[in-house]
Amino acid sequence: MKLLTSILSLFLLAGFLALKSPRHDARLHPYKLEYPSSFGSRFVIPENNSLTEEGVTLGRMLFYEPLLSKTNTISCSSCHQQSLAFSDNRRLSIGVSGKPTRRNSMSLANLLWVKNLFWDGRVSGLEAQAAFPLIHPDEMGQSLEISAKKLSKTRLYPPLFKEVFGTATITGEQITQALSQFERTLISADSPYDRYLEGKYQLSATEKRGLELFMRGPAPERGVRGANCAHCHGGVKLFQEVFHNNGLDSIAVQDKGRQEITGEASDNGRFRVPTLRNIALTAPYMHDGRFATLEEVLDHYNQNMFHPSNLSHELRTATNTEGGKTLGLTAVEKKDLIAFLHLLTDSTFITNPAFANPHPNTKTKPIR
Amino acid sequence: MKILRLKHICFLIGCVLVGNFSVAAQTLSIIGEVKTPLTLSINDLKAMPQTQLKAKDRDGKEHEYGGVRLVDLFQKAGVTLGGELRGENLTKYVIARAADGYEVLFSLAEIDEEFSGCTILLAHTVDGQALPQGIGPFRLVVPDERRPARWIREIKTIEIRFAK
Ligand code: HEC
Ligand code: HEC
Repeated sequence: MKLLTSILSLFLLAGFLALKSPRHDARLHPYKLEYPSSFGSRFVIPENNSLTEEGVTLGRMLFYEPLLSKTNTISCSSCHQQSLAFSDNRRLSIGVSGKPTRRNSMSLANLLWVKNLFWDGRVSGLEAQAAFPLIHPDEMGQSLEISAKKLSKTRLYPPLFKEVFGTATITGEQITQALSQFERTLISADSPYDRYLEGKYQLSATEKRGLELFMRGPAPERGVRGANCAHCHGGVKLFQEVFHNNGLDSIAVQDKGRQEITGEASDNGRFRVPTLRNIALTAPYMHDGRFATLEEVLDHYNQNMFHPSNLSHELRTATNTEGGKTLGLTAVEKKDLIAFLHLLTDSTFITNPAFANPHPNTKTKPIR
Repeated sequence: MKILRLKHICFLIGCVLVGNFSVAAQTLSIIGEVKTPLTLSINDLKAMPQTQLKAKDRDGKEHEYGGVRLVDLFQKAGVTLGGELRGENLTKYVIARAADGYEVLFSLAEIDEEFSGCTILLAHTVDGQALPQGIGPFRLVVPDERRPARWIREIKTIEIRFAK
């Protein structure tokens, strides 16, 4: 008898759990993330938002869905265009209000591995991040509730949400969850540099010199020339989650970067070190888009840096001439470095049909 | 001319706001699997027993570093060391995090001198001077290590965790 009741309650519990977590619905197909083993698995996917084929497909539709904006004209893809490695080509982006955004749009690649999102790292987790552009008056300008309502009124979306989340009503949380599922699949790992690391691409002479400069710190006393970029931008993913002041201003006044989050003066003008993957596609550069070209970026690091007291130690001390005060690269060395930076362009990523606009009509075409 | 003046003013404000941000305000926290979480200022640290040791930095030259042994700080925070460092406590590890977010890991056993035979120093001086900006106010020094990659600069937090 006792056994019977415990079996019965087990059944009840199982039934309850099945109701509570529709995500374990056997009808959904788990999405298999593929990436080189060298990228490592130092990432966390929230337990209540594991990736499914169906969820990723829905997220992709939402990423390109202008109904999520107040004006029905702006989608995520307006400022994050696939052909530009999911960034845009403006100094500052334009959303529903026509007023420029505060900062330069960021490329969305390999976000699976990023913990603290945005230039200042203020948000952790893609689910939480997605709410920002959706709501912001200068981006998409619409509450999550209204977005959910608008989608409920379409013929397209309710069955898709029901399939993925198992509920009859669409919620704001589900919108951010599906978007995050799609964003986690945006993996870029097939640039010529990746292929070089796998032994499948031969560097030209200038690319090889550029790579060496990029990777090495200068040591004039030993006759070693270098640009030391890898100290911050290194690793196979060309990304490390650290925050630095790279000397853009003598003091950051308008946009204090990391200081706005931590409240610490020593974080003034510190920003997250962005990935250099696809960097040739994501001009203009820096958090405020101040540099139009990679040449300008290199001139900055080479001779135009300000020296605030919290300028990164590494940038303050790097020089190719004994006792020198600047990096001191030659014109040829700058060209070599730029040749290397062009190796980071992943044309497979920007043409991958799985990441493209899935909507058949053109009303969702990103506006420029 | 106008631009120039603006630049000057910005520079002056810069000196006030950034140039002199006080070292006293910067702290080191010890958190996680501890009895008493600590947040220490440079003065708190100076009030503890000081250790000096010589070690070679990245420049290949030997320097004298001064500060507090990490093991003493851990004792103060009530981390399981010595006789308690056995059983499941040997699955504890230590994440040291810098102001820029850089992280390095030690196993707890490495920190315990009785166990590993190595000293790890939380330094605040080098050759008798306060550590310069960008390196200090606090830095780890691991003298027995051939590569100083775990000599983490601008260290802000030390977290003790269980490997799960
Ligand atoms: C009007 C332009 C605009 C729109 C629309 C927009 N974004 Fe962004 N996005 C930006 C800007 C600008 C930033 C950087 C903002 C900052 O750092 O403060 C950014 C940053 C991000 C980041 C952070 C990336 C990183 O590496 O930290 C993610 C993720 C992102 N956007 C996703 C989205 C999603 C999802 C949508 C649609 C729901 C969206 N964006 C819509 C302009 C836009
Ligand atoms: C001390 C760390 C550090 C070093 C070393 C460093 N950078 Fe950066 N880099 C940054 C930070 C931080 C940013 C973002 C700054 C901002 O926008 O405020 C950045 C931004 C960039 C950007 C713009 C990225 C974008 O998406 O807009 C490029 C390009 C770049 N760096 C290239 C280089 C090159 C080339 C080198 C070597 C000459 C180099 N960096 C060395 C920290 C560093």
